[in-house]
Amino acid sequence: MSAQPLTGLVGVVALLALLLAGMPIGFALGLVGLAGLALTLGLEPALIKSGVLVFETLTRYELGTLPLFMLMAHLCFVAKASRDFFDLASRLFGHRRGGLAIASVAGCAGFGSINGSSLATTATMGLVAVPEMRERGYADTMATGSVAAGGTLGQMIPPSGALIVFGIIAEQSIGVLFTAAIVPGLTQMLSYFLVIALWVVLRPEAAPQLARSSWSERRAALRRVIDIGLLVMTVTGGIVLGWVTPSEAAALGAAGALVICVLRGRMNGQALRGALEDTLRTSGLIYLVVIGALIFAAFISVTGLTDAIGATIGGFGFGPVGTMLLVAVFLLLIGSVLDGLALMLLTTPILLPLVADLGLSAIWFGVFLVRAMEIGFVHPPMGLNLYVIQGVAPEVSLGRIFKGVLPFLAADLLHLVLLVVFPVIVLGLPQWLGR
Amino acid sequence: MNLSLLRTMLVWISGGALLIAMVVDTLAMFGRALQFPLIGSIEIIQAVVLIAASGGLIITTLDHAHARVRLVLDRLPSRWRRRFETLYAVAAALLFAALLAGSLWITADLWSGYEESEILRIPYRPLRLAVVLALIVLLVLALRRPGTRESR
Repeated sequence: MSAQPLTGLVGVVALLALLLAGMPIGFALGLVGLAGLALTLGLEPALIKSGVLVFETLTRYELGTLPLFMLMAHLCFVAKASRDFFDLASRLFGHRRGGLAIASVAGCAGFGSINGSSLATTATMGLVAVPEMRERGYADTMATGSVAAGGTLGQMIPPSGALIVFGIIAEQSIGVLFTAAIVPGLTQMLSYFLVIALWVVLRPEAAPQLARSSWSERRAALRRVIDIGLLVMTVTGGIVLGWVTPSEAAALGAAGALVICVLRGRMNGQALRGALEDTLRTSGLIYLVVIGALIFAAFISVTGLTDAIGATIGGFGFGPVGTMLLVAVFLLLIGSVLDGLALMLLTTPILLPLVADLGLSAIWFGVFLVRAMEIGFVHPPMGLNLYVIQGVAPEVSLGRIFKGVLPFLAADLLHLVLLVVFPVIVLGLPQWLGR
Repeated sequence: MNLSLLRTMLVWISGGALLIAMVVDTLAMFGRALQFPLIGSIEIIQAVVLIAASGGLIITTLDHAHARVRLVLDRLPSRWRRRFETLYAVAAALLFAALLAGSLWITADLWSGYEESEILRIPYRPLRLAVVLALIVLLVLALRRPGTRESR
């Protein structure tokens, strides 16, 4: 069979069907890619290409960043850092109306800076913050919605697992991607603060005012995060300022987290084994997905599907902004039935050449894609963060949780449009730093 | 082999490899800053990350923990779900078999080439064999009683 765009399109549809039918993402990507390569190029080149990709991926220095950042996150779990971030934020903001919800979002951002996963951030902060807010009389909609939305910051605030995977697939600098994600991550957090502030103005009963913490309590809470905070600042600052490569930063982060665990008296053989096992399990998942995605991307590039899509969309004459808004709608639609990783791996090989044709930056596209992915975490029917929160607070219905997340979802959509209209939000910091 | 023994070995061997990567990269960073560059650190990391990643792939497969979209699957009757799980185990076996075939092909082709890394001259043969071994284990795990256990 000759390589034609139609072959690629059939492959994309087959992949979508397999993903929706629940086939593990890595298997679906790899099998469709292999079958497509075998049909278009022949079985021998398909097998050889896959053999080459497996070895290249497993020995890829940049991809080593991912397990090391995961190890850092799992060691921070061992050090019980998540509770400390929330405690500090609640001591600082808790006395204001809606302060605990703001503390939850800030805690998610803090925890997101050591952990690159939305689900892990939501689950961890959910366990800490949701019961506390509900106990203090917060509306269950605000308690659950703020954490479900705040959890998505885990994916955007560096280090981000999604950005590392995007960097590998799209062959972009992970350090620049991390730098570019900082301002979008911070503006996203601020937009959530704004939502909470507006919410308590309109519905003051949703968040009662609490007693102000004393300065000694605040200082004690600050002392508990100072070690992890310094580690995070060193790791992220080192990458942003170009002092260390992302891989070195990840290694330093993991080593620092290990030292913190020891200093806090929380490290023993069982804890280390647990952290290593969790890290390896998550890494294995990502490695298979990346291998599958690279095989699938090789197939898509052979078929010329991306050129055909680029020509078709270019023919509409919408210009870069119009086209990317159209792409955003497409991503949100697909993201309502696919999870974030699947969405990224399915669409990156197809959309990245289109983005290049439009004269847009691949770095900008990576951040934009991750932002669109995050929205999929909080809107049904996928909305994985909503299910995670329901697992934490089973007595709150899914409908109530969704009602709580709706104002944040509106802020998310507005934020996504702002990223399209003002790419400087993403590209400004890397350009300013000369990255 | 007892699966819990396999898991324990994998955790300590692959986890140990990951800890080596952590130490080497950290030392390399400090070494560079102190004008004592650790020559060839990237090559060491590439080799140990291969061990860590291969172990990770096996642990993930052992735990049926591969990422998937559960939207439709969770709503199916259990009989249908079991059928799909069997199908996916066959799909996994097919993929691992294809990757194994490709890796064996490349390994055989390059065997007499005595590939090695540029600076430390780390031989690639053992690394390629490690990948082949990992893929064999993955294939065996995928073929082992497909569909009898629900994926996580």
